[in-house]
Amino acid sequence: MKEIKKDFPVLVNNPDIVYLDSACTSLKPMQVIEAEMEYYKKFGACAGRSSHRLGRETNQRLDECREKVAKFVNAEKDGLIWTRNATEGLNIVANGFDFSKRKKVVTSIVEHHSVLLPLIKLRDQGKIKLDVVGCDKEGNVDFSKIDRETALVVTNSWNNILGTGRKINEIAKLAHDNGALICVDGAQGVPHHKTDFKNLDFLCFSGHKMLAPTGIGALVCKTDHLAKLKPLMTGGGAVKTVELNKVVELPTQERFEAGIQHYAGIFGFASACEYLNKIGMEEVEKHEATLAKAFYEELKSAGAMIYGPDSPQNHSALYSFGFKNAKAHDIALMLDREKIAVRSGFFCAQPAMEVIGAGDGATRVSGYIYNTPEDAKRFGEILKKINVLYS
Amino acid sequence: MVLCIIAFFVFAVMSIFSAKYRPLAKEGLKCVFKTITFRPCDTGLDDRIKARLVSELLKFSPGAAKVLNKHFVIFSWLFVLLTFGSLAYSIYGFYNFYVYGNCDGPDSVNGCVLNDITGDYGRFSEPKDLIVPTNYDGLTEGNPNGTLKIIEFGCFTCPYTKKAEDTVQGLLQEYDGQIYYVFKPFPLPNHNNSFEAARAVLCARDQGKMWEFRKEVFKQQDVCRTDGTLAIKELAQNAQLDMDKFNKCYDNNETDAELGKYVQQGKDAHIYATPTFFVNDKPVVGPKTLDQFRCEIEKKDSLVKEIGCLLGQWWG
Repeated sequence: MKEIKKDFPVLVNNPDIVYLDSACTSLKPMQVIEAEMEYYKKFGACAGRSSHRLGRETNQRLDECREKVAKFVNAEKDGLIWTRNATEGLNIVANGFDFSKRKKVVTSIVEHHSVLLPLIKLRDQGKIKLDVVGCDKEGNVDFSKIDRETALVVTNSWNNILGTGRKINEIAKLAHDNGALICVDGAQGVPHHKTDFKNLDFLCFSGHKMLAPTGIGALVCKTDHLAKLKPLMTGGGAVKTVELNKVVELPTQERFEAGIQHYAGIFGFASACEYLNKIGMEEVEKHEATLAKAFYEELKSAGAMIYGPDSPQNHSALYSFGFKNAKAHDIALMLDREKIAVRSGFFCAQPAMEVIGAGDGATRVSGYIYNTPEDAKRFGEILKKINVLYS
Repeated sequence: MVLCIIAFFVFAVMSIFSAKYRPLAKEGLKCVFKTITFRPCDTGLDDRIKARLVSELLKFSPGAAKVLNKHFVIFSWLFVLLTFGSLAYSIYGFYNFYVYGNCDGPDSVNGCVLNDITGDYGRFSEPKDLIVPTNYDGLTEGNPNGTLKIIEFGCFTCPYTKKAEDTVQGLLQEYDGQIYYVFKPFPLPNHNNSFEAARAVLCARDQGKMWEFRKEVFKQQDVCRTDGTLAIKELAQNAQLDMDKFNKCYDNNETDAELGKYVQQGKDAHIYATPTFFVNDKPVVGPKTLDQFRCEIEKKDSLVKEIGCLLGQWWG
C-alpha cells in the first residue's frame, strides 16, 4: 500500500502533507484524473442523442461505465442512476417514493443531514410520518420500531462521525419482513467496505469519497422499484415522446437523468471502481483495519477522548475525538499548522453529535488507502504536543 | 475577538501591496464589525490567528504555549490595548512634531526620530554619515589659532540648539584663548521662522551686535517661532540695533546668499539634526552638557579620564 501514494498527485506535489480527511472527500489517483481527461481528449460528444461516430462511442463507453460502477456494488446496471452525489440520490428516493399506501419512514438520529433533511421536509409538509430512532452514547441504534406501517427505512451502512457500521442485511430483512423497503446511505460504506446490493432496495453513494471526481454519484435501485419511483426533475433525454398534451417518459433509469450528464466524471467514477477493484476491497478493508488500530492507539496515547465505541474493533479508520476544554477547530487548525489535514465541526450530522456528547463539535481523523501507519504516528506525535495545552 | 481589529489594520495595509491579503482584510473587517457590535466573530480568522501563534510557541516552549492558549483572550486584550496606547502616543508625537518641531513636546531636550525622516535634511541619520566641513566660515568667536576648534551647525528656532547654548557659552569661557568657535546657521524647514531668525542674526552681525541679538533670539525663541518677523524686529529694537539698517538688510534678504552658503555646507556635511558640533573634527550630535564636551575634548589625555567619561556617559 505504501507504493500507492505515488499515484496521487496531491501527495506527490505536497509530500509533507498528511491527508486525514478522506471522510470528507478522498484524493484522486492519476488514473482517475486521466480517465476524466480522456473524455475531453478523445470523446467530447453527447451520449444517447447524436448518431455520429463520437456520439455513439461516448454512449458505448458510458454504458460500460454504468456496468462497472453497478458491478462494484454487485448491482444490475439497469438499476443505476447517475446522480451528482449521495445527497441527490437520497433526495430522489425521499421525494420520488410512493407513500400513498404507507406513510411511515424509520431512520436513526445518527445520520447525515442529507438523510435527515429531505425526510424532515416531507414530514413538515405532512407527506410522511417520520420516526427517528435514538441511539446510545456509542451510537448503537435499535431498529425494532420498524413495523407493518413502515413504508421505508433509511439508514447509513457506516456512519461519518463514529466510524462504526451497521448490520445492514439484518435491518433490510426486518424491513422486508414488515413489507417495507430499505434505502441505504452508502457514502461512507461503499468506498471503504465491500458492499453487496443484493438484499437492498436503494443504495446511494458519492464518487468523490471513493477516488472519483466530484459532482458524480450513483443511486442504485432494484429495477422493480425504479419503475415506481418518480424523478426529481425532468427534461431532455428523460422522455420518449413529447406532445404538448402528452408526455411519455422513458421507462429506464434515463428518466432520472434529464439533461447532459457529467460524462467526464462518469469516466472517472468507473476508473475509480477499477482502481479499487485492482487493489481488492478485501485488501482495502484489511488495510483500513490496520489504520483504525493505529489511529486508536495514537489517540489513546495522546490522551484524546474518543466519541463512540472505545475500541478499534469493527471500526473504520475514522474517529471523532476531542480534548477536555479544547475547541475542535483549534485542534484542527493546530494540526494543520503541522501539515496534518483533519476536519472539525459537526460533520453535517448535528443531531447525532448532540446525542453522542459532542454538542460543541469534534475533530475527526479519517484515513484511506493512501494513508500508512507512519501517517498515524506523525498525527499522534503532534496530537501529544497539542494535548500539553489542555492537560 | 479583539485581535481581529489589529489583524484588519495589518492586512488592510498589506492589501495595498499584495492582492492575496485582500480576502484576509475583508475577513478582518467582518470580524471587527461583529466584535464592535458585541457578536461572536464567525469568520474563523481569530481561531486561525490563535492556532498559529500557539503552534509556533509550542515548538519553543510548551509551558508558555499552554499559558497563551488558556488565557488567549486576556493576552489579546492586552495586546490590543498596548497597540492602541502606543498608536495614541505616536499620534501625540506627530502632533508635537507638527506644532513644536519635536515629538516630545515644547520643553523636551530628547532627540526626535521624526527629525530624521522629514524635511530636506533628513537623508542621513547616523553620526558616521557626517562629513567634516572644509572651512571655518560662519559666525566666529575666539582664537583662530587655538588648539580647540569647534564648529556648530544650529538653527535659531530649534529647541535643541537653544538647549546647547549654555554649553557653548561655558566652553567659550572655560577654554578662552584655546578655542576657536564657528557657528554655521542651518535653519531647519520644520521649525517655524527658522530662516527669518537666521537672516536677522546675520543682519545683527553686520552691525557688530551678533552675540547680543543671538542671545535675545534664543531667549525669546517661542515668540520668534510663533510671531516671526514681528517678534524678530521687536527684538532687534530691544537690542538697540540701527533699525533702518536692520530693516534694509532683513527686508531685502541681503544675507540670503551667505545663509544659502551655510545651508549648502550643512547639506554637504550630511547634517541631519541640530545642533551638530565638530569638536576638532569629531562629530557630536545633539545638545550635550559641558561635562560631556570636556570628556570629548580631554579623554585622550589619560586612560583614567577616558574610563571616567565612559562611566559618565553610561550613567547620564
